Amino acid sequence: MSSITRESYMKELESLLQKVPEPLRKEWLYDYYIHFQQAYENGQTEQEAAAELGDPRLIANELLLSYRVAQAESKNNVGNLSRAVFATAGMGLFNLIFVLGPYIGIAGVLFSLWGTTAALALAGVATVIDSLWNGTFSIGQAVSLGIICISLSMLLAIGMLKLTRMFFAATLKYLQFNTRVIRGAGK
Amino acid sequence: MNVQFKKGVLEVCVLVLASSEDRYGYELAVKISEKFEVAVGSVYPLLNRLTQEGYFSTYLKESTEGPPRKYYRLTEQGWHHMRLLIKEWSSFTSAVNEIIEEGMRL
Repeated sequence: MSSITRESYMKELESLLQKVPEPLRKEWLYDYYIHFQQAYENGQTEQEAAAELGDPRLIANELLLSYRVAQAESKNNVGNLSRAVFATAGMGLFNLIFVLGPYIGIAGVLFSLWGTTAALALAGVATVIDSLWNGTFSIGQAVSLGIICISLSMLLAIGMLKLTRMFFAATLKYLQFNTRVIRGAGK
Repeated sequence: MNVQFKKGVLEVCVLVLASSEDRYGYELAVKISEKFEVAVGSVYPLLNRLTQEGYFSTYLKESTEGPPRKYYRLTEQGWHHMRLLIKEWSSFTSAVNEIIEEGMRL
């Protein structure tokens, strides 16, 4: 750590930021490149400048945290949202319990409710097919039963769509709150 | 000084330093590290975040020596945010001072 040079410092930072798209990564790295440059002009050695900057892993963490939350804000999809959750969770055990726990729990409930919705639709179709095949119900009964099942499923789907959107919005709010907490409390 | 405490204070300092004139990153980092001990490297993520939140606009300017520097200019929104933080800061410090003074008198 004490003999860290500009080159190894920049290399490490770059490799830690590998997942960030190139233009943004370049922009971030430029700040540190310039920093070394100006530190040198002010008569600091590379080692001194690197020590003063601090652990590249901490810096990468701070950069990635704000980046991932910002990304989830702009693109409201599951992949980005999960990545933001994991970025936040990566910051500590506290968050593992308070973000990841509820997130997985609620996501599980939503998932199973979507399952119910699909099952209802399937039951509607299956009733009609079964009645045609085995004559369990008369055609009239089967069709009306099928329609009831499918309508119920559609109603449920509409409700579920709203719930899922709310879930995304709430997760995002929670993450933003969490990020503020971490920024305040993080080392 | 306590790490959490410094983090919150860093934001006010950066905003206030850039309010009198446009500053470049290194200048801000050095000015702050002169006053109190801080990981200089964490000034840049802060600057990025404040820019992302619309408190700073940035531009590149050639310097007489070395590569062009990235300057930070406080936006209208940044001014609002700074005033708010200063207000919070003064009411916080005056509360702490009151408690200290009362405590010392006993």
